[in-house]
Amino acid sequence: MFDWPTLVESLPLLAKSLLVTLESSLAGLGIGFVIGVLVCSLRLSLHPLWRRLGGAYIFVFRGIPLLVQLLFIYYFLPRIGLPNVSPLAAAITGLSLAAGAYIAEILRGGFLAIPEGQLEAAHMLGLSPLDVLVRIQVPQAVRLTLPALINEMILLIKASSLISVVGLAELTRTAQNIAASNYLFLQTYLVLALFYCLINIPLACAGGLLERRLKRRLA
Amino acid sequence: MIFDPTLITERLGDISNGLLVTLETWFAGVAMGAAIGLLIAVLQVFGGAWLRALLRLYIELIRATPFLVQLFLLYYGGPSFGLELEATTAGILGLGIYGSVYFAEIFRTGFESIPKGQLEAADCLGITRLQCIWRIQLPQMLVLILPALVNLVTILCKETAVLSIITIPELTMVMTGIGSETFAFVETLLVLCVAYLVLIELSSRLGLFLERRVGRFLQRQST
Amino acid sequence: MTVTKTHRPALALRGVGKRFGSNQVLHNIDLEVQSSEVVCLIGPSGSGKSTLLRSMAFLEEYDDGEVFIEGQLLGWEPGLPRKRTSRAHLNKVRSTIGMVFQQFNLWPHMSVLGNVTEALIRVRRIASGEARQRGLAMLEKVGLAHKADAYPAQLSGGQQQRVAIARALAMEPHIMLFDEPTSALDPELVGEVLHVMKQLAADGMTMVVVTHEMGFAAQVADTVVFLDQGQIVARGSPQKLFHMTQHPRLQQFLQNYLDRNAFWQDMKEEATA
Repeated sequence: MFDWPTLVESLPLLAKSLLVTLESSLAGLGIGFVIGVLVCSLRLSLHPLWRRLGGAYIFVFRGIPLLVQLLFIYYFLPRIGLPNVSPLAAAITGLSLAAGAYIAEILRGGFLAIPEGQLEAAHMLGLSPLDVLVRIQVPQAVRLTLPALINEMILLIKASSLISVVGLAELTRTAQNIAASNYLFLQTYLVLALFYCLINIPLACAGGLLERRLKRRLA
Repeated sequence: MIFDPTLITERLGDISNGLLVTLETWFAGVAMGAAIGLLIAVLQVFGGAWLRALLRLYIELIRATPFLVQLFLLYYGGPSFGLELEATTAGILGLGIYGSVYFAEIFRTGFESIPKGQLEAADCLGITRLQCIWRIQLPQMLVLILPALVNLVTILCKETAVLSIITIPELTMVMTGIGSETFAFVETLLVLCVAYLVLIELSSRLGLFLERRVGRFLQRQST
Repeated sequence: MTVTKTHRPALALRGVGKRFGSNQVLHNIDLEVQSSEVVCLIGPSGSGKSTLLRSMAFLEEYDDGEVFIEGQLLGWEPGLPRKRTSRAHLNKVRSTIGMVFQQFNLWPHMSVLGNVTEALIRVRRIASGEARQRGLAMLEKVGLAHKADAYPAQLSGGQQQRVAIARALAMEPHIMLFDEPTSALDPELVGEVLHVMKQLAADGMTMVVVTHEMGFAAQVADTVVFLDQGQIVARGSPQKLFHMTQHPRLQQFLQNYLDRNAFWQDMKEEATA
């Protein structure tokens, strides 16, 4: 049933496209993290208008399917005078915007777990709001939410399969192309699934390990 | 960007058909996912070590792979082992399998949250395991897991958009179809975004209502 | 060391009031603290003493009256209706105040030295090498230079509070505010913190201390202020205040402490007998 030589032939191509998958999901995580910090600050702000704005962001970018968001961005960016946006840029934009909404919600839990007194101490010493955010709040929130953030990375790697619709030759799109030429649909897609497993299962294990360690330390 | 509403009104028939397919695949996928998920959770709690390890593997594999890849395997890979499915059937089956592992995790957490003593009490009274699950454990854990269930159901609603890639004529497929015929991509996609937001908002409202109802039922019991 | 007492008080409160909703927690508080003076705020729990102290740092936004730090109005723009000053101005007025909290409020993800130098580097813009020197000097002062590289969670409560004091002192404040600095500590750790505070008082630091440690108040304070139900009921030197008989609430409050001490005295005598 398995045509091994043909499958092995496709491996280098898949491995190369894996880099595109990793690149776009890592970029999505990084930029999404910055967006997440900002949106989370809005959500926790004292001013109701800012809070509403943060809430609206999360509602929109969590509510609309990522596939639809990606298509929208792909067709929308040229309309607002950015005609030469590469598929990769559109894909990373889409992943980052969506990841920002999820990361904002993850971080909110972490931010709320930091005792208020620590922030009062910082204000008394004259630290600026930005310094308090960057030096006191974010490092602690990240430590508390690291397992959830790793989980978000897994979600992003999986979600990046959808950027194939904007024509980017990442892992899934490459497998599609290979299957279309060798007609080994089942086998090629099984190899494709294996690629995702090889990345995501170790990540999931690391996340689980961290979570257990965190629980023990807090207990 | 001037929006021409006739783009939508002229194709209202197609659009409502697409919406129906979205709802159909969503509901069927949720029902199937919940059923398989419950079965997995029950087997995980009561099954032997080998069965548990096997189920764990199933859960990890499904969780590690993208929904789209699972659909490809089922729809394009299926014929290689004699499984020739219509796109919509493959979509529902795929959504059910994908959702089942998340349902299973939620149900398992629910089972684990119920004190062991209650099960021992039921055992002593000669209540069978199945009766115990159905009559004692499920009603209690439903309150606890309802928010997570509602969240999962809305996630599955969004996942139905992916079904358009394997040519199921659901809402996203219909709307992008209109977009490519008229070149009014941005407008049709905007309408599509709003449609999903309404669907998501409605289902989370319904979820909140249910949470309150179930909570009230419990409160009345306890007083 | 002789301290020239300028005419202007280090800290002045005029008619300060504070409400939480409809609950008036501070009524018309007038208080002056001179340079190098040590003032202890005492009173039953819920008397508003912590709120009063926090108002002196604008951690609570007082509703009525004015708080002056070295002659500068704290927190509000002059005039009505009330409008907050800019953050920059608030920080400028606050920069002469150091605050020590009941719960220490150290930043757990930074080392002991990191806690002390953070504001020196970020706020005072001092180069990290020099900040390190100053941080170590401050830790030396509270006897914890050897713990510079430890993390707060590795220290006892008493050590953490001493680090918190060093962190505040590093910014060279003119006035130190202490909010029940020993209340979260195990009894055997109280002494080391009080020792540091006594030294500070001896060095001429202006201090306002909310405390339940009557021994400390009697020994170190120049002025003791007794608060009850959001009002200053009595004030004076410790010798004077601890013998005021005309205030039944103060008598009752002090009696509670004396009873407890008498109990311990009895226990000690029994043990030695």
